[in-house]
Amino acid sequence: MNTPNYAKSAWLALGLVLAFVAGWELYWRSQHLPIGYNDDESMWASKRRQVYESSPTRPVLIGSSRIKFDLDQGTWARITGEKPIQLSMDGTSPRPVLTDLGNDPNFKGTLIIDVTEMLFFAPDGSFPEKDAIKRVKAYPTWSLSQQASFQINRLLESGLLFLDDRNLALGPLLNLLPLPARPGTWSGPQFPREFFVVDQNRQSIMTPAFVADTALQNKVKGVWLDVGAHSPPNAVTGPALQAILDATKRSVKQIRARGGQVLFLRTPSDGVMRAAENKLYPRAQYWDRLLAYTQAPGIYFEDYPALTRFSCPEWSHLTPADAVQFTEDLIPIVARKTGWPLGEPLSAMLSQSIPTCR
Amino acid sequence: MVFNSYTFIVFFAVVLGLHSLPLAWRTKKIILLLASYLFYALWNPPFILLLWLSTVVDFYMARLIGEEERPLRRKLLLTVSLVLNLGMLSYFKYGGFLLDNFTALLSAMGIAFQAAQPDIILPVGISFYTFVTLSYTLDVYRRKFAPEPSFLNFALFVTFFPHLVAGPIVRPEDLIPQFETPRRATAQQLSWGLFLLSLGLFMKVTVADGLLADTADLIFSLPFPVQTLDAWMGVLAFSSQIFCDFAGYSTCAIGVSLCLGFVLPDNFRYPYAAMGFQDFWRRWHITLSTWLRDYLYIPLGGNRKGPVRTYVNLMVTMLIGGLWHGASWTFVVWGALHGLFLCAERLIRQGLANRQAAVSIADGAVISRASVVPASLAAPLARFGLVLLTLFLVNITWVFFRAPTFDGAMLLLLSMFGLISNGPPMLTNTALLTVGVVTVGLVGCHWLMRNTSVAEQAKRLPWWVLSAGWAGLLLLVVLSQKSSSSFIYFQF
Repeated sequence: MNTPNYAKSAWLALGLVLAFVAGWELYWRSQHLPIGYNDDESMWASKRRQVYESSPTRPVLIGSSRIKFDLDQGTWARITGEKPIQLSMDGTSPRPVLTDLGNDPNFKGTLIIDVTEMLFFAPDGSFPEKDAIKRVKAYPTWSLSQQASFQINRLLESGLLFLDDRNLALGPLLNLLPLPARPGTWSGPQFPREFFVVDQNRQSIMTPAFVADTALQNKVKGVWLDVGAHSPPNAVTGPALQAILDATKRSVKQIRARGGQVLFLRTPSDGVMRAAENKLYPRAQYWDRLLAYTQAPGIYFEDYPALTRFSCPEWSHLTPADAVQFTEDLIPIVARKTGWPLGEPLSAMLSQSIPTCR
Repeated sequence: MVFNSYTFIVFFAVVLGLHSLPLAWRTKKIILLLASYLFYALWNPPFILLLWLSTVVDFYMARLIGEEERPLRRKLLLTVSLVLNLGMLSYFKYGGFLLDNFTALLSAMGIAFQAAQPDIILPVGISFYTFVTLSYTLDVYRRKFAPEPSFLNFALFVTFFPHLVAGPIVRPEDLIPQFETPRRATAQQLSWGLFLLSLGLFMKVTVADGLLADTADLIFSLPFPVQTLDAWMGVLAFSSQIFCDFAGYSTCAIGVSLCLGFVLPDNFRYPYAAMGFQDFWRRWHITLSTWLRDYLYIPLGGNRKGPVRTYVNLMVTMLIGGLWHGASWTFVVWGALHGLFLCAERLIRQGLANRQAAVSIADGAVISRASVVPASLAAPLARFGLVLLTLFLVNITWVFFRAPTFDGAMLLLLSMFGLISNGPPMLTNTALLTVGVVTVGLVGCHWLMRNTSVAEQAKRLPWWVLSAGWAGLLLLVVLSQKSSSSFIYFQF
């Protein structure tokens, strides 16, 4: 039997790990992937904590991925002077977060709710609510230790590409194994790595490679078709829809009763996605009913020529350049619609009427 | 603070650095104590008051018990300590559960009663540190351990951060003597401690969280039946997940402690290679099972009061063991199943021993001791079969441990045994392959290691092979990137 020399083993192990990590990082840098941040529970909680500072110039954004791509926070800040607080979650219904904010007696701020019908009108407790429920439930127990880890994590993620949890962690790498699909199962949407990155304000940004490559865009279109094929064939109706409307109305009323403000927003979609949405969720039965029932203002992109001139390269989200323009065009519409004081340069715009399509 | 977090890396580096400074031993212990309070407070600072209360009361109660000679007064002092500790545990852990059951009972009796839902947050690790302090008071009461004169040593014994929130559940004799003389890890201890920390993190971060958690969470959260294969793979995923999660924590705790020069007791000894439930409980959460044996089963009479009382004592011990894990009837059922399996095994062993003794006497052989393992079970294949049978039954019990409700547990059990056949497939081939590889790997590893230890095996390896394995563990931890998720046993 050898006399163990653990110290020697430790040094060699450390050397091997550092060498591998350096090589791994260099390899992914050579693939020209931009650095992003992990949009995890801690990142969300760090924004959730800010909701009490919300105001019309610093609204809380809840919704799905669309508003994370389409509303450019830098542009919003340039015009209004403050960045919004982004609480939306990819592929997730905003309703659990709306309920949470409605029940929070200290939230008296301004809320913009992004409505992607197939997610917003998902039945209570269904899959699109899962992630939101989990984060809402975890937030009150976000410990000091987790907060400290989050700060360290953010520092590391700002410099190291391989810490990309969504694409380069063990789980996503295992999903690349060339295994045949098991009949009747689905591993969920598998987006190409280049699709987007998330910045430290939870802004989703399509990568330059994605914007430039129609093959990648087509791949994501394929993913949406796949998502559609695995989604319920019919939209929610009847008592289930009424329950959703009731819950939404209750939360909106709670927030307004405390002096808060709520605005619904429908951002652009395109192509087959748009056609499917129109078919499954006719505007009159869902969007219009939602506004009428909650008595809250809403902006539907198709109502404003300025907001209809964008196309989504993968049917669902705007490119970074279009997001800048969309946000510039959206702000005066929001100001006009709600009367929110969204910055000095807008005062002139408020006195003018905004062209609408309806 | 959890071991699998960046905060802990920074915290531990600072503690290790301070512990290595040429300071007085008392100063080092004060630093360790303050660090332990910080470690705990970073979860929820107010709960540190409970920890202080428990520490102060038990220190002084044990001192008074030690000084007191009158039996009645000693009993009274012990009762004060028990009421305080178990009272806090009951309020925080079982308050809601008791109220729910009380309401249900009244409702069954036709009395309408709607209690306000108590908004009680469970303090992390309360079940663990309550058992630690209880063992001290009880040992002093039994005159097994003299009251510790140093409050600092006692406070550090209760609060020492490696074991504080999820064990191993230390006994006074395990740790207090180690605080009496200056300790600093040798280079060998430090390196081996870091290896154990790496191994524990690999088990938790890579295997439990990275490879298994999603599959187990998915299958146990479904409100509808699934295919038999999916049901079994979900349960096997949880079976490996809970082992890697909890044994991972214990391994980290032992490693971290060793880096500081302190030795903590083993908590797991390859339980999935257990032959029978008696063997299982000698290998699974050893510090809890020995605690329950020494402070509950034996005081109840153990096996000294006849067969019937033995079985009753076994059942009571396991039911309370189940309830210790969580305030829910599903945990009670889990404990009850373990109790029943232990009773059944005892009956079978007794029957086999009697039969073997009878056969041997009939053959005219001189028997010095009746073997409890028949010759037919001595062959490796038969022994492995026994391991698989035990594992099969353990997996059945895990269904109740993990399922959020009885309905959920029954649904899954019916799916596992094909009694509901119309469930859909839920797991992808990647998930099936991952769970399959981990399960086979884990059971194989437990089987091969059942009579040895990692330390013994490491000594046999060339140093560079150990390095390569160690680097592999760390790389998989780095690649898993699942930092900061809580350990399952924290909720207990």
